[in-house]
Amino acid sequence: MIRFDNVSKRYLTGLDALAEVSFEIEAGEMAFVTGHSGAGKSTLLKLVSLAERPTRGYVTVNQRELARVRRRGIPQHRRGIGMVFQDHRLLTDRSVFDNVALPLLIAGTSRTETAKRVRAALDKVGLLAREKASPLALSTGEQQRVGIARAIVAKPPLIIADEPTGNLDPQLSLEIMNLFAEFGAVGTTVLIASHDLLLLKRMHKRVLVLDHGRLVDDYRPVRAA
Amino acid sequence: MSAQAERRTAPPAKKGAEPRGPRAPVGERLAAWRDQHFFSFFSSLGRLAARPWATLLTVLVLGFAIALPLLFWVVFDNARELSGGLREAREITLFLKPALDARHADAFAAELRRRDDVAAVLLRTPEQGLAEFRDLSGFGEALDALQSNPLPSVLVVTPRDSGASEDPPLVAAMQADTRVDLVQYDAAWRRKLGGILHFGERVVAVVAVLLALATLLVIGNTVRMDIQARSAEISVMQMIGASNGFVRRPFLYAGLWYGLLGAVFALLVVVVVEVALAEPVARLVESYANRFALHGLDPGVAAAVAAASALLGWCGAWIATARHLAAGRPA
Repeated sequence: MIRFDNVSKRYLTGLDALAEVSFEIEAGEMAFVTGHSGAGKSTLLKLVSLAERPTRGYVTVNQRELARVRRRGIPQHRRGIGMVFQDHRLLTDRSVFDNVALPLLIAGTSRTETAKRVRAALDKVGLLAREKASPLALSTGEQQRVGIARAIVAKPPLIIADEPTGNLDPQLSLEIMNLFAEFGAVGTTVLIASHDLLLLKRMHKRVLVLDHGRLVDDYRPVRAA
Repeated sequence: MSAQAERRTAPPAKKGAEPRGPRAPVGERLAAWRDQHFFSFFSSLGRLAARPWATLLTVLVLGFAIALPLLFWVVFDNARELSGGLREAREITLFLKPALDARHADAFAAELRRRDDVAAVLLRTPEQGLAEFRDLSGFGEALDALQSNPLPSVLVVTPRDSGASEDPPLVAAMQADTRVDLVQYDAAWRRKLGGILHFGERVVAVVAVLLALATLLVIGNTVRMDIQARSAEISVMQMIGASNGFVRRPFLYAGLWYGLLGAVFALLVVVVVEVALAEPVARLVESYANRFALHGLDPGVAAAVAAASALLGWCGAWIATARHLAAGRPA
């Protein structure tokens, strides 16, 4: 689903955010990216969502070489990715329902289909009862769950999340991560950047470790169960 | 585990069957597209209504900017109509020597009628002239005291239109004729009036163009500030796959609304000014015993102004959003 071939990224400031990173994540796999602040986690995710272009090397997402995706193709590319942000980035001037419906509005889904899918997504994150609420009326954990509902509502084959539990306490963090794990279990590829090592240990998933832009470890849990 | 996954020298070049996001059938997509437009159309209006004072201020600025050339235009349109009769009056008035009696005057008129460059000649005897003067001047009793009629015979000559702008040669010929006391021909004055009106029209056009530009900039700037206030929202939309068109649409509609509301206000200003001026203008016109009546903008022009203004708003918003979108994307 995601493949990095010898990818380097140098910003205009001269900062080397990623250096010769190569890895592959299979479809339906759930993986974490971790490392200290500035190790290149966010840059890695930005390359996947085409918020940035690599300086060298190739990034392939869903069998598409991203260098071939022109400017005009970027929105279409992003519609195939569900994105979750640390600060959830909900639009505070509209209801929970409208926030979750946004990707479907963008994709041009019919109204009846939209209503159906939005409710299904909200049900999955346990917030069906709050669809008419403003995001401001929700707790931080609930807001992040709305963010997740928005990411999954268009049923993208890939979900990427940048520090989705950065603002949450350990208990809520685990709940959120388990939510992600559920999507992984139904065939969606999930890639999450997180620096919360304790949490990652509890999740028993693959972990890519970045250090100063280099991939220093690719830990895969032994499949015991 | 090794950090290095397997490497390949070339990226896989799969063209054609590119897996894309979910796509609905055409009919459904068309309906959705229409839904999106409806949504933008009304939600942009809702946004303007949510900030009534800011919107009102913008609309007032736009309204006055549009009203100014409109008012100029109304004034000149009326002036043109008023002067229309004057400009077409090409008659040459010949005051004959008082010594010439009626028989000679008649002969002179007949002589003129035979000329190629004369279309018509009207003879007014001293008696007719006196009667007319008595009616118009109100000096009737004073005139009765006169022993004899002091007025000369008058020939009103309508020259054949040669299309040339300079004075017809007939004027010079008549000035040289010994039977003629005075030649009255106002072509020079009429040409000046024509020049003034032409200049006025040009001024209206230039002011209109400048203020249209101002309208474009005011709306562009208002939309730009609107965009800045919502830049976080725009970046979220872009991150989750909104196309430029989707991001741009609500702002374009906002620009359209600004232009339309500004035009409506401008037309309102024009109507108020017309009503305010109607009474004094009517009185002025009456004193000149003229059939002229002040006329305002006709509905066709008003509709064209509203449409043009809305279009300007749309264009201004387009420029503002294009600048913002060009600044916010990776290559």
